[in-house]
Amino acid sequence: MSKKIKTKTQKRILNYFRRVVQLLFFIFLPSAFTSAFSGVKYIFTQIGLKQSIEFNSFVAILIVLCGFTIVFGRLFCGFACAFGSLGDAVHGSYLWICKKIHKKPIQFKGKWEKKLLYIKYLLLSVIVLLCFSGVYSKMSGWNPWDVFSLIRSGNFHLAGYIVGIVLFVLILIGMALHERFFCKFLCPMGAVFSWLPVIPLFSLRRDKNNCIKGCSACKRCCPANISLPDKNEMKCSGDCFQCQKCVNTCPKNNIHIGFFRIHRNEIVFTLLRILILSLLLYLAGV
Amino acid sequence: MNSFWTKTISLLTIIGILIFYNLVIADRNKTEEILRLKSELEQDSLQSGVDKSNKDNVDSRYKDGVYEGEAKGFCGQIKVQAVIEKGSVSELKIISAEGEDSAYFDTAVSIIDMIIDNQSADVDTISGATFSSAGIKNAAKQALGKAENKYEQKD
Repeated sequence: MSKKIKTKTQKRILNYFRRVVQLLFFIFLPSAFTSAFSGVKYIFTQIGLKQSIEFNSFVAILIVLCGFTIVFGRLFCGFACAFGSLGDAVHGSYLWICKKIHKKPIQFKGKWEKKLLYIKYLLLSVIVLLCFSGVYSKMSGWNPWDVFSLIRSGNFHLAGYIVGIVLFVLILIGMALHERFFCKFLCPMGAVFSWLPVIPLFSLRRDKNNCIKGCSACKRCCPANISLPDKNEMKCSGDCFQCQKCVNTCPKNNIHIGFFRIHRNEIVFTLLRILILSLLLYLAGV
Repeated sequence: MNSFWTKTISLLTIIGILIFYNLVIADRNKTEEILRLKSELEQDSLQSGVDKSNKDNVDSRYKDGVYEGEAKGFCGQIKVQAVIEKGSVSELKIISAEGEDSAYFDTAVSIIDMIIDNQSADVDTISGATFSSAGIKNAAKQALGKAENKYEQKD
């Protein structure tokens, strides 16, 4: 019994830990995701203009985030991205309200989900082509990220941002109804990340032999619907954004990060990676 | 593991292409710069004194002195200081920029060189850092507006 309580508190701690990290990043480094994507846009704008690509702060942040993701997985998406945190907060509030008014939250699940995953690649290619052709810099007022950044920094001069505001509200609704809606289906930076070769050293794996027969708790709670690989498989899905919800859900504490079997030390290990990420972003000049 | 290697190879290819592209562009820029300097040198030796006095006339649209301007950036106010020497903008400094995001602001400050080169604040904003660069531009416009030689133009 005491062991059960202990794991429960540990799970709670892991959950609170993630919330605190997300909040801190939201307050202090809210623009990392837009800066990194500005790096992508900058590179293609310069190629379109036949100008050299200079090493500016956007490119630096892009390189830092991509390098970090290659080594440690998409921990940035799960813990540090301000837009992802916003989505988590909106979805959490929606579930909380549903609970208060005793209504079942609407759930969208089905095979179509897998097909919609490709929208983000399409969106990325469209934006990249617009940058390349020089059209992008002439478009203004449509980017929902701009609307988010403006509101977050307390700048409410949103005239001329009607399209952006509409898109932002639609995204918010999507985020509320479907966990990580934006990250999964739309995020162009997420499309870049999932194209990166993530070294599977620090990916999440489970001990399949130890699993309860027929249990799929981890897959069902996963916002990205990933079925975790076995501990011996050197695999890592590009869509895993390392939110580590599965670690908390598994009834047998069967899910670990990396093959070092750092049993129930996920907090320490994640904290270490978060510190490395913050240091790198600081050096890159966020 | 297969997809890992495919992704690694495509990433390395993209990085390779970008580095190669940069080298080609750097080479092209060098050749253009050499050609430009050569033609400038020829023109200078052809018409030496005349051109210079003309240039002085154009530049004297500003009064010497130090002027300040202010405008809204991404979040807060951006304050700039323009130094006019011998009728032309010699320096443009950011005095304060509260609430600006450093990555965006770092990119935006390159507009200062454009303003000094152009000797006027009528320049394009920096794409990718539109708000911050527009803030600097508008602040510079205000400062240079104060510095404009209105009396001489009336004469």
